[in-house]
Amino acid sequence: MKTLQVGIESTTLSNGLKVVIAPDTTAPVVTVGVYYKIGFRLEPQGRSGFAHLFEHMMFQGSANAPKMQHIKLINSSGGTLNGSTSYDVTNYYEAVPSNALERVLWLEADRMRALKVDDENLKNQRDVVKEEVRVNVMNQPYGGFPWLDMPPVAFRNWANAHNFYGDFADLDAADLKDVQAFFKTYYVPNNAVLLVLGDVKVEEGIALAKKYFGDIPAGAVPPFADPSEPEQSEERRGNVEEKFGTLPAMAIGYVLPARRTADWCAMALLDQALHGGRAGRMHRELVQEKQIAVEAEGGIDDLFGYNGPSQVTTRIFHKSEFSSEATLAAFDAVVREVQEQGINADELEQLKVKWCSDYYATLEGGRGGSMPKYGLMHLLACFTLFDNEPQLVNTILDGFLAVTREQIQAAAKKYLRREKRAIVFRTPVKASEKEAA
Amino acid sequence: MATRTVEVATGVPGLSAERAVTWPKRTKARLSNGLEVILAEAHSIPKLHGELFFRSGNAAVADRAPGLAEMTATVVRTGTAKRASRQIEEDLRRIGADLASHAGPDTSAISFAGLSEFAEPLLGMVNELAREAAFPEAEFERERRQKLEEVKLERTQPGFLAGERLRKVLFGAHPYALVSPSEEQVAAYKREDLQKVYRDSYTPENGLLLVVGDFDSNEMMRGVEKVFGAWAGKKPESKTAAPPANPRGRRVYLVHVPGAVQTQILVGCHAITRKHPDWVKLGLTNSLYGGAFNSRLVMNIREDKGYTYSPRSGVHALRQHGYFSVSAAVRNDVVAASLTEIFYEMDKLRSVPVPVAELADAQNYLSGVFALGLATQDGLLSQFSTVALNELPDDYLETYRAKVRTLTPNDLLETARKYLDSANMQIVVVGDRAQIESQAALFCELEIYDAQGKQLS
Repeated sequence: MKTLQVGIESTTLSNGLKVVIAPDTTAPVVTVGVYYKIGFRLEPQGRSGFAHLFEHMMFQGSANAPKMQHIKLINSSGGTLNGSTSYDVTNYYEAVPSNALERVLWLEADRMRALKVDDENLKNQRDVVKEEVRVNVMNQPYGGFPWLDMPPVAFRNWANAHNFYGDFADLDAADLKDVQAFFKTYYVPNNAVLLVLGDVKVEEGIALAKKYFGDIPAGAVPPFADPSEPEQSEERRGNVEEKFGTLPAMAIGYVLPARRTADWCAMALLDQALHGGRAGRMHRELVQEKQIAVEAEGGIDDLFGYNGPSQVTTRIFHKSEFSSEATLAAFDAVVREVQEQGINADELEQLKVKWCSDYYATLEGGRGGSMPKYGLMHLLACFTLFDNEPQLVNTILDGFLAVTREQIQAAAKKYLRREKRAIVFRTPVKASEKEAA
Repeated sequence: MATRTVEVATGVPGLSAERAVTWPKRTKARLSNGLEVILAEAHSIPKLHGELFFRSGNAAVADRAPGLAEMTATVVRTGTAKRASRQIEEDLRRIGADLASHAGPDTSAISFAGLSEFAEPLLGMVNELAREAAFPEAEFERERRQKLEEVKLERTQPGFLAGERLRKVLFGAHPYALVSPSEEQVAAYKREDLQKVYRDSYTPENGLLLVVGDFDSNEMMRGVEKVFGAWAGKKPESKTAAPPANPRGRRVYLVHVPGAVQTQILVGCHAITRKHPDWVKLGLTNSLYGGAFNSRLVMNIREDKGYTYSPRSGVHALRQHGYFSVSAAVRNDVVAASLTEIFYEMDKLRSVPVPVAELADAQNYLSGVFALGLATQDGLLSQFSTVALNELPDDYLETYRAKVRTLTPNDLLETARKYLDSANMQIVVVGDRAQIESQAALFCELEIYDAQGKQLS
């Protein structure tokens, strides 16, 4: 198969900021990202949702670019921008015509150097975030299923188990002191990576990184709480009421092996065997053959982008005439089959071809054209922050392509065990109760 | 109304010289069977992205049943004369391909992506689905049951309910008014109805094949001819429905969702198609109004007032008609306040010319983001298909940015006066009646519906 080699160069500035440049002159467009190694997993206790609220605050003004100026300057340069918070990283990114590169770097450096926000900004964004939670979770059928439902059932360490979007009381309790303390602790150059991808030359990118970021003082090495989980020894179950939808749903999650181990590679391919779209075993058995479910999918969320306890999760929406237990029994039968029979050579070969194809798609993934190279940026950032090895982007495929049938069967037996799983049932409120309410 | 003084940034680096934007060359052909083919090379990854379109969608068969083209497309991938469903899915995985069959109001399509080295078997699969779909009885029944659950679920989504109501209000008896079938209509679908839609619509004369990716165009064209050349079939007769009446006067349509903790606002009116000479003008006006993060509406009701997370406006072009809409999911107690600001920003654009600097910012935005799609295969595919399906001039992509740059404050004032007519906007609010009815009633007469579409008052 034709392989893809991404040309990349990386360096570390004297303040500890890591810099990765990936030149490609296909289009006169450049993508810039700054990733900080802090996500919602390790946000302060008593401040659930804070990492995400803080991400919003990063658009509210910095020393030389007051409120609204970040957005205005990027848009008026012909570009788009956004940010997102996940388990272990928070990112800020822009795609612009390449003639605006210096401007983008100046803006990112300005907010890495000094955040300048006030109480009014905080109140404003707290309100915005609450509407975000309502539109995505509280006012949507199956909102937060299972990404917010699963953690409190599956995990025991607060870091992994809390409400990542934030309890409203915690959002209300957050004040400006929290904002500045979080900034000072985690938003230091030595806890970040700057990425420049697309229409840029290597020397130019590194020189500009030095010019704009070089004099930002390094901070103390941030303290990170221990996110590890106590060994799980029995199945865990939880229930969440579904207010709007009418189909019963469930999510089954199993704890994953440590990242970048041989077991992890085997689990990733096993995940594809189970959840790889309409060819996946879950869909085939539960939706096509037994017709118990109208949807049975899932998998490992953001395989390369997490750095702590995580799960491979199956989401099932099943027909009301089948009980939860009958549905779970059908799910278990699919798991048992792969544990007992493994997968055959032909299936493994299909999985590997599809894996390569999907990996290339991830590298090129540009969010429907609006954010070119988003996927490559994300991988480079995670490989840099978690592994200090951006070149992994060119070699990580090898580990997956080396996986054997035996390893997949062994992974199924070792990790897909009842005592290692958690199940969340999302149960619709009965129609009659709904009428009464 | 923005109450906060906007401060400016100091020390911002200027922009360096712009690099030219060059769209890849398109290789075009019409096969002897009438199939239109457009190819473009993009060597960013060793893959290709393509789409086989048919110029008939749900609207063309709406007189038979709503959503019939969509249901047809769904069942197309579940079996052919040669392969059963499971075989199709495994064969796609074997060549690293993704495929989807779907339909919208104006088109039906098979979209696909895969590794370049397996281009031939992938095109073979697309061809087989387009010509030899078997509509297996059991697969049809299963998909119909799935669809029933899907249409039930839709009625619990505020965004769907708002969109559905607005389309009904704007398009009346026209097929564009129907965005989704009812449970009864799904239950009444017949396999033979789907097969007729398939026979009539999935023909080379009605088709457009677009492929973008890592290949040599001449070689690919030969491959396409080999695979699709022997296919035959006429263009279906097209029926054009009578134009919908343009609703005059404001009216509020409240969709009652008991217990909703937020209100979905959707405001809209008739607009234009892509082919209309005002398209670029309206696009720029929209971008300034609420189509970009940096737009007036977003700055007002999000960044200044914190009423909502994701306010947006957009111009939606269908083939025969278009519409403009503004959406925002807002806190229940600021429904009236949000509507006031939505109309205030429209009226301001209609009354006061846009300052030159703000216009320049919006022009830069629109022309800049237009070129972002150049960098990816799927971005290119989407731009090329827009041009081809809307029968826009060949140089549309090449000349768009210059057209944006020639517009003046006066053009925008005229455009806003022509299209952003706040006095005739139709207002949909989806939420809990007890919390929002009195606020909505401040704006005009009210009609109230439940989630199933039944009028309550």
